Amino acid sequence: MERKINILLVDDEIDFLEITAKRLARRGYEVKTASSCSEGLKVFEASPVDVVVLDVMLPDTDGIHCLKEIKKMFPSTAVILLTGHASMEAGLECMDSGASDYCLKPVEFDELVDRIEIVYRDMNSQGSCSS
Amino acid sequence: MVSDMGYAGVKKRIKALFSPSSTEAELDVLQESFRNRYQSFRALLTANNNALEIMAEMEQALVLGQPFGMAFVRGHCTAVSVNVYKMIQSLEVLSDGKYNGLFSSFRDISEKMEEILARQPEVPEGRLVVPLSEVGKDDADLVGDKMANLGEVRNRVGLRVPEGFVITATATQRFMRASGLQDEINRLLKQLDLDDLESLYSTSAQIQKLISFAPIPQQLVQQIEEHYELLYSAGEPRPHISMRSSAMEEDKSNVSFAGQYRTQLNISEDFILQTYKDIVASKYQSQAIIYRNQRGFRHQDVIMCVGCMTMVDAVVSGVMFSRSPRNPRSRWVEINAAHGLASQVVVGSIDTDFYKVEREIPNEIVQQDAAGSSPILSADRLRELAAIAARLEEHFGVPQDIEWSIDRNGDVIILQSRPLAQPQVAEAATDEQMSANHGDSALLSGGLTASTGVASGPVFVVRSNVDLLEFPIGAVLVVEHSLPEWASLLNRAVAVISEKGHVATHLAIVAREFGIPAIFGLSGAARKLENGVVVTVDATGRCVYSGRNEEILKRTAPRPNLMADSPVYLLLTEIMSLVVPLNLTDPGSPYFKSTLCKTLHDVTRFCHEKAVTEMFSFGEKARFDARSAKQLGGDIPFQWWVIDLDDGFRQSFDTHGKYVHMQDIVSEPMLAIWEGMTAKPWKGPPPLSLKGFGSVLFRSTMNPSLEPSVGTSMGTKNYFLISKNFCNLSMRLGYHFTLAEAYLGSHLTENYVSFQFRGGAADRSRRFVRVFLLRDILEKFGFRVEVKHDSLTARIEKKEKEKLIEGLKVLGYLLIHTRQIDMAMGEQDMVDHYRQSITVDLESILSPDAVAG
Repeated sequence: MERKINILLVDDEIDFLEITAKRLARRGYEVKTASSCSEGLKVFEASPVDVVVLDVMLPDTDGIHCLKEIKKMFPSTAVILLTGHASMEAGLECMDSGASDYCLKPVEFDELVDRIEIVYRDMNSQGSCSS
Repeated sequence: MVSDMGYAGVKKRIKALFSPSSTEAELDVLQESFRNRYQSFRALLTANNNALEIMAEMEQALVLGQPFGMAFVRGHCTAVSVNVYKMIQSLEVLSDGKYNGLFSSFRDISEKMEEILARQPEVPEGRLVVPLSEVGKDDADLVGDKMANLGEVRNRVGLRVPEGFVITATATQRFMRASGLQDEINRLLKQLDLDDLESLYSTSAQIQKLISFAPIPQQLVQQIEEHYELLYSAGEPRPHISMRSSAMEEDKSNVSFAGQYRTQLNISEDFILQTYKDIVASKYQSQAIIYRNQRGFRHQDVIMCVGCMTMVDAVVSGVMFSRSPRNPRSRWVEINAAHGLASQVVVGSIDTDFYKVEREIPNEIVQQDAAGSSPILSADRLRELAAIAARLEEHFGVPQDIEWSIDRNGDVIILQSRPLAQPQVAEAATDEQMSANHGDSALLSGGLTASTGVASGPVFVVRSNVDLLEFPIGAVLVVEHSLPEWASLLNRAVAVISEKGHVATHLAIVAREFGIPAIFGLSGAARKLENGVVVTVDATGRCVYSGRNEEILKRTAPRPNLMADSPVYLLLTEIMSLVVPLNLTDPGSPYFKSTLCKTLHDVTRFCHEKAVTEMFSFGEKARFDARSAKQLGGDIPFQWWVIDLDDGFRQSFDTHGKYVHMQDIVSEPMLAIWEGMTAKPWKGPPPLSLKGFGSVLFRSTMNPSLEPSVGTSMGTKNYFLISKNFCNLSMRLGYHFTLAEAYLGSHLTENYVSFQFRGGAADRSRRFVRVFLLRDILEKFGFRVEVKHDSLTARIEKKEKEKLIEGLKVLGYLLIHTRQIDMAMGEQDMVDHYRQSITVDLESILSPDAVAG
């Protein structure tokens, strides 16, 4: 890995958040966490990241809003949605709003790592290609 | 993502590029556009991989019969549609919007899916409260199954039941609507993790509390009070009542919901309203949530009605089954009886007398086990009860599970009559098995078979709610009393042992339903069995053995498919009709159109096919890039073209010639297929019998499009579309159309091997035999295979590269060695011969691990 991938995890399930952050850090990623949409946006604004892993059902306002705000600020940030129970409508809206991937919870940790690597790679190669 | 404007611009520039005056700088732009397309292509393949995997999971859920709830269905519907949508988005980019008809096909399919997901149960707009004297079996949708049956017993069968009324589904729905709680309840349930017992109990408590504190609409309060007034005459004392849950969808013959909801006795006038709310709330008791999940019920399908009836001043009460619950062919009625109220009998808190009485007159008494010094019921009374049981069975048409009391006047009063949950005849235990008690070597023996079967696991004794939280999956549940609340552990326990209790308790009913072996009335079990010690429970023979007793465990019966035909199962089945069937099978057909996609699978198939075509034609057109399209040179069978999408040729490869040789190829999947193709020399076509040859001729005349010389533009050539990690091989040899494709990267999520096979020259039956032979071989090597008519698709996904390389070698081998064998598939000897020789060859080509796997 040439440089550490910066990841922001936004999820209101604190246990999941902490464990996943720890495991990702152990794999060599730079990880930030937030347990709500507003907190996530604040963290992101302060220092943008390469990849955001976002739960769609956040308590304060939903993840779709969070996704749109992030894409507005930094279109080149890859956003992976990670959720067990978004409606089909919400899922499709996320794809229209520029989400890179959609992951069904519970997800195997290795698969999550895989998906982070893939969206990061694709985002980067796209950046280098587009004019 | 690149905007539409961006694409229009790129497209314009590409058009300009094909003019002879292209400059180097413009060629760079074109090369870049090609790369962008390749990236969209790769995204499309990954989304395809994900979508097909999710579809397979959904299909597996229906086949395996493991419990799944609406959260599973919704989550998978969203995930599959999102991935399919991503494929459409990627194809849009790849094809410059050529197939935008896909969006409307996709919208039609997804809207239909959403419609099914959003469907609500139909509740009739009926009265809020109905007297029992006006209720019959057909009113189940208004008063719930339990009260509908009881009304039937009173009004049609003519037996005595307590006087009373029912607070209807309409009333409960109004109450819940007025409370505005449903959204919050749904949110809590969505977040609930059923494997986390602590979260289960806290969510359950939280929801019940919300409901218990909500106000009841005034109109309903008034009607409940009015109907209560009718239960007594002026001057009489105000009666206490019993209040019983009567849920919709309850008491069906194969789903009992026994003891899942609350029943409250001796309620005085002041507490009726609160008790009503508590019973409505009991829909969310932890055991009920688990039960619905196990049995495939949506929470919203269950609407609680509440029966309110005068208390019976019971001298003796009990439960009787019109036949043995373990044996549907039995000729006797089984009766449990105890002094006092029936509720004590069904929760298993007291010891009961047990009787077996012949169903037919003169109703002889077959068995009589008194709990105390003398039997509670006289012979006449037993005959009376047996006759009632037989009569109720006759009226309802299926064996019945009946709660009854005898009041101070000596009258038998029926409190409940519902279909008896019974095993299938094939699974029913015989009396010989039931008495096969091998007490000598057993740790414990005796008690009653509450549910037949054998199982093994570590002991876990549950005495309190705290123990409950710790209960491990796969343990043997050991309790002192067979209380209904322990039912919330029946999705984790492999067997149940209770010191007290009998076969008529709610816990026993649910254990039988779930197919979990259970011995009840095994005294001293909780004391003698230690936590963590592995035992084997033979509930049929009523013995507990130390350790795993493999001899006994051989008799383990398959678990019943509890989900089959449940509402959630049927809902998923309906949704699957919009997801899985593949109608677009032949890309050469005029019906292979974006507007004719009827299912998500069709959309994936269409997107994949068109994406490959786009990449192919773009690569072929791109003569500007001298590296891209070459004929494969050297001494090789057939003619092959190779199109390099990105980095499939060696860097040092001289791009100016017309040919590329195998040594210049660095595409790992192509090399693997090639290895399989060339590992063994082709033995030539099979010897043709006249009949086999005749069938080939016949097919040629019937279907000229199968002539190899009449192909589509892509169909006339065999080509490899490659990059370092990717290979798409399309092959049309003779009458066969074959497609093998793979992506082998460092991320498992992207990795797959897929294979499509169609056609053949011989008649249908020979082609079918060959497809089945291929299926057997591919399954042996770890492929997931689907066969439809004479076409076959096979897939492995998300596995390590090494495993997929072995899979590709298998495909390479099969491509060459099975292409004409359909003609020889008329005789079983030949089929066996090919099966044998293919297996031997493959085993010699592959690494020993792959063969074992």
